[in-house]
Amino acid sequence: MLLDELSELRAGQVSQKTIEDLTRALRELDGSGPIEAASTLKTLAQTRFAGAAAALLVRWAPKVKTEADVLALIGHFHRLALVSGVLSAFRRGADRLPRGGG
Amino acid sequence: MSDVEVDAELEAVLRRWSERGRTVFAELMEDATSALQRELVQRAVLAGHSPGEVHAFADELRGLSDDECFEACTVESGTAGATVALLLKAEADPLYAFQLKGGALTPNEHDDAPSMAMKILKENARAADAELVQRAKPRKAFAADSGAFRALPPRPVTGSRSSLQPVATRLFEELLTEATRPLGVSWREHELDTPDLSIEQGLQQAASSIGRGVPVPAVLGNAQGKPLAFVVMLQTSSAGATRAFQLFEHGTRELVWANERDLIARGELPFENKALRRLLRIALPRG
Repeated sequence: MLLDELSELRAGQVSQKTIEDLTRALRELDGSGPIEAASTLKTLAQTRFAGAAAALLVRWAPKVKTEADVLALIGHFHRLALVSGVLSAFRRGADRLPRGGG
Repeated sequence: MSDVEVDAELEAVLRRWSERGRTVFAELMEDATSALQRELVQRAVLAGHSPGEVHAFADELRGLSDDECFEACTVESGTAGATVALLLKAEADPLYAFQLKGGALTPNEHDDAPSMAMKILKENARAADAELVQRAKPRKAFAADSGAFRALPPRPVTGSRSSLQPVATRLFEELLTEATRPLGVSWREHELDTPDLSIEQGLQQAASSIGRGVPVPAVLGNAQGKPLAFVVMLQTSSAGATRAFQLFEHGTRELVWANERDLIARGELPFENKALRRLLRIALPRG
């Protein structure tokens, strides 16, 4: 699922900086209840993020039903941002491997 | 001691440091996230600062980008109150420049008490600014990643070999750290299948990192140890005593589950490219 979401974000030309901003915004949900968190996700999708990033938030909002879900969501987006960063590092380092890294 | 590359001038200064100080320096060279940071730390050593001061300086630089490092350690010639002597001293001593720009350092005195030779060096360094002007020599520019750095004659980053061990090639550590620094994650690259770290030990640490929510970048190679592909280890899955790692290969975008036993045994992995069978390096999050 994480890789599919990353593919969507890349296809929607969402920059790494936007993904990082998304992660930071979601980190602020720490301590929030599920109803508040879901509402915040929708608000972020409407006011602060657009395109594929907003679509992702809207998709996640109804899935946040418990406080554990809130924490899991924060962790998921942190992982997503990390993987995105790692893959961008791989792209930059591709010429360090034979034939561009295969 | 970790692997570092130094040149003769730097080595001469380091020889006057204690064993502990030299160990600290080697660790700082490994931990530096860019060539510019390494250069600035080395110049601080050459300027006569103690291991504790150099350590504190390196710690401040590590979280900065190259542009930020350059900005923090450069005193512009138009700066109010900047005399020629001050500018020359700041040019030669990035730690001094850092403090002039408002940077605060808290040297760890436990790193090392300066040796007698170092104390003498420091006393000389505190001499009147005129002495520095007298000692100033024509300097060549150092082409840092983000601007010229006019100070000591340039010393290549991969300098001449010294009695200290050479730096092991790092394939992707600084790229990863640069990419994930905004997320508060920096990396340390480890070579696997060595006396220091077996594949099994590396996988154990990787599993621990993944369990804490941090994926693990890695390099796969062929049986002879030639690096061929970047992969990221995303998940683990255990069934009884058996554990598997989910690997995403960056080049072909393949996503596979590889049995830990096969990874340890350098056996065939479920990638299209059957040459990918040996886990050569991993990067683990620091801290």
